[in-house]
Amino acid sequence: MTNNWITTRAWFLMLPLLIVMVAIIGWPLFDTVRLSFTDAKLVGTAGNFVGFENYVRILSGPNFQRTLITTFWFAVLSVSAEMVIGVLAALLLNQQFYGRSVLRALMILPWALPTVVNATLWRLIYNPEYGALNAALTQMGIIGAYQSWLGEPGTALASLIVADCWKNFPLVALIALAALQAVPRDITAAAMVDGAGAWSRFRFVIMPYLAGPLMVALVLRTIEAFKVFDIIWVMTRGGPANSTRTLSILVYQEAFSFQRAGSGASLALIVTLLVTILAVAYAALIRKSAGVS
Amino acid sequence: MSALELVNIRKRYGSVDTLKGINLSLASGEFLVLLGSSGCGKSTLLNIIAGLAEATEGDVRIGDRSVTGVHPKDRDIAMVFQSYALYPNLSVARNIGFGLEMRRVPAAERAKAVEKTAKMLQIENLLGRRPSELSGGQRQRVAIGRALVRDPKIFLFDEPLSNLDAKLRMETRTELKRLHQMLGTTIVYVTHDQIEAMTLATRIAVMRDGHIEQLASPDEIYNRPATRYVASFVGSPPMNMLDATLVDGTAQIAGSQTVIPLPSSLRSQASRKVIVGIRPENLSLALGDPSKLTIEAKVEVVELTGPELVVTSSIGNQRLTASLPPRSQVTVGSLQRFSIDADGLHVFDAVTEKRIDA
Repeated sequence: MTNNWITTRAWFLMLPLLIVMVAIIGWPLFDTVRLSFTDAKLVGTAGNFVGFENYVRILSGPNFQRTLITTFWFAVLSVSAEMVIGVLAALLLNQQFYGRSVLRALMILPWALPTVVNATLWRLIYNPEYGALNAALTQMGIIGAYQSWLGEPGTALASLIVADCWKNFPLVALIALAALQAVPRDITAAAMVDGAGAWSRFRFVIMPYLAGPLMVALVLRTIEAFKVFDIIWVMTRGGPANSTRTLSILVYQEAFSFQRAGSGASLALIVTLLVTILAVAYAALIRKSAGVS
Repeated sequence: MSALELVNIRKRYGSVDTLKGINLSLASGEFLVLLGSSGCGKSTLLNIIAGLAEATEGDVRIGDRSVTGVHPKDRDIAMVFQSYALYPNLSVARNIGFGLEMRRVPAAERAKAVEKTAKMLQIENLLGRRPSELSGGQRQRVAIGRALVRDPKIFLFDEPLSNLDAKLRMETRTELKRLHQMLGTTIVYVTHDQIEAMTLATRIAVMRDGHIEQLASPDEIYNRPATRYVASFVGSPPMNMLDATLVDGTAQIAGSQTVIPLPSSLRSQASRKVIVGIRPENLSLALGDPSKLTIEAKVEVVELTGPELVVTSSIGNQRLTASLPPRSQVTVGSLQRFSIDADGLHVFDAVTEKRIDA
């Protein structure tokens, strides 16, 4: 009886939020599912029911597979680089030195900048005629002539990954720094007395405290990297020769450039499904590691 | 050869002098307790001995070797921390053996040493567990084991018992004493608990505001405190401190008509303001023997603690506490005459707060 009442009250209190969620997420999602089974165009026809035709065409087509691989590489390379650089930066900023607080504040800057600003900055740096990167590398004699970093299929993705790292490593560093500050001073002192060198201290003493928070950073960053859109759209629009086309770009092109609302919707749902699988897998991983420690 | 020597150790943080020139020398096998309230510099001093902090001035010598500037791992010390400081993701066995592992002691030899230590501390059955699966007392044993296994020149303990509950604290205290007697190790032990200091130490250094107020055996610290601070810090209930004036071989208690005749050894002292210290257990109910030293006070509160009856009374506006046998007949509100054990009378100069001796 009391339990029932508590449940009823809980649902009642959550009702406003639920209504808003249904309105702005539930309904569009439902409509996207409906659209994905039609051959609707963005403007004009409402479309006819075509069953699983959109899905079959997308999953068996070469575009999707190639894009999935590009997305995979983008996510894996940028996130792992961000994790390594982020942790190294955090270790550095956890040391006592003059000007540390200024440096800590400065480090957040790339992450705090809007992605569009960041992407535009990097487009200038990579510019094939007057970019800073070309200038620096030729003047140091590393390359002979100016390169079109974003214009060559061989270097475009790597250049994007560098730009994405620059923007996102501060988030990892921030999380790692917070975790580092939670490492008890006594434990590091005990390890020093025990004769542990810098690497052993990191591996046996610091890492256990970093692992949990880093796992959260890893989940957040992987999911974000998997659905990356803005930085790529501003810098390369998925080119050249589709070499930097990720899943979100493909969804956009399908739905808005080619105006195929039906198959765009089914593609969007596939991406949603993939991200959900990632999220669930990571959540399980976090629960497991939390249970262990 | 001294096991540890501190030569004029000073530590300055910004404009604050945390340590103001500490000198002491410790023989091998001694159990030195650094005793003091928080902020007196005792933990800083321990960290300087360990090499976890650098002294601004002075020298630390361990086994006749200067270790100033030497890394903690190369000082041949082991340390037990208040928070236990166990490595959370390593098993008990690896926690204990960590120092040996880092020093590249072969696995078989390491396992043997760990087992021996675990046996001594009665934690053999815990070797496979993680620290999170242990109780506070067990963690403390592991922390002690981690120090013991290395067989260093000096053991440093930083308030190792303060996170334990009262009963466990007492048991572990006895255990530590037993270990020290058995192994004959040299120990420097930091605490703010005067009972720990009294029971464990072969010598106590009472610290205050960055200097050593008195360095002596527990017996000396308790029975012949060098200063008023030491006298009031050690002992429970604390020593009574009565403002008085020395006149003609007597101490006239301020704010009352009470005059305490002083022992003959103190009669030649010049007249001045003094503090008369009397430990509560050196007071007893006066039974009409006129030859005894007595003092009269008005009884205000009577508390039975079990083994003793603590009687708080007043002389003018000063407090007098007496620890009496539990069945003593004392009436609240009455005037009570207490006799004073003449050996338990301490006199301190009111200005310098130093002990006045004959």
